[in-house]
Amino acid sequence: MAYSEKVIEHYENPRNVGTLDKADDQVGTGLVGAPACGDVMRLQIKVGDDGRIEDAKFKTFGCGSAIASSSLATEWLKGKTVDEAATIKNSMIATELNLPPVKIHCSVLAEDAIKSAIADFRSKQAAKKSLASG
Amino acid sequence: MADPFETLGVDPRFDLDLRALEQRHRDLSKALHPDRYSGAPAQERRLSLGRAIDVNEAFRVLRDPIRRAEALLRRGGAKVGETVEPAAPPALLMEIMEVREELSDAARAKDLPSILRLGAAMTARQEATLKKLAQAFADAATEPGKISDALPILGELRYVRRFLDEVSALEEELSP
Repeated sequence: MAYSEKVIEHYENPRNVGTLDKADDQVGTGLVGAPACGDVMRLQIKVGDDGRIEDAKFKTFGCGSAIASSSLATEWLKGKTVDEAATIKNSMIATELNLPPVKIHCSVLAEDAIKSAIADFRSKQAAKKSLASG
Repeated sequence: MADPFETLGVDPRFDLDLRALEQRHRDLSKALHPDRYSGAPAQERRLSLGRAIDVNEAFRVLRDPIRRAEALLRRGGAKVGETVEPAAPPALLMEIMEVREELSDAARAKDLPSILRLGAAMTARQEATLKKLAQAFADAATEPGKISDALPILGELRYVRRFLDEVSALEEELSP
């Protein structure tokens, strides 16, 4: 199957590959997998004091489309507020990368990773708040 | 797709005797060989050819543990596929992520011994996962409601397989 030019571009020059400190309470980590193919994807966001995402990193072991989806996601995440980030949909990623129907699940994986990273960040913030007030 | 167990006429179970399966495939292929039908009417030739193709495909499905498990799950009425299967438990994802990172570090360093060591550990794990899967299907044979218990184990097997495929590719690339 032929990959679109945009997928190949991200695959060859992935943006923001790497790791953020999982223990930092400004960092949210999302770890997701695709049970039907065995791909794994980790996506992390670091939220600044102004509530905006100042950094995003990913590490994906999977096909070109999964790598491109997570690479694009990190690009889009930077500079957004957490609420804005939560509105990113897999269909936006799939459209941007011209993913064929059999690869749509890669963009779903990226959306899941974003949601899971946001949920992790929010639960850390909630824990911090309850610690401060309790 | 037709049920591969029916096509080959073997018992629908996970722990198949692979040698007997191979023999069965060979016998059927021989019986369906086009040479045997060279004098037969066109209709019959077409049918036997179609059947031979089905037999080959069924054999390919059944000799692969992942596809065999999928076929058993479908027979049992469980849904199989990307969007319907349960998500892996976080601990499994963390473990797989960790070893994938180790493997990619070893690949970058062209460290073949470490790659082989990681592969051997995962092969042992694959054996254990296959045993668990066989047990789950054996349980489901007596209690059909339990068939979906096999789904997360199949998911685990796919992560394991994916890792081992990567190890094989690296091994081939780095072997002198």
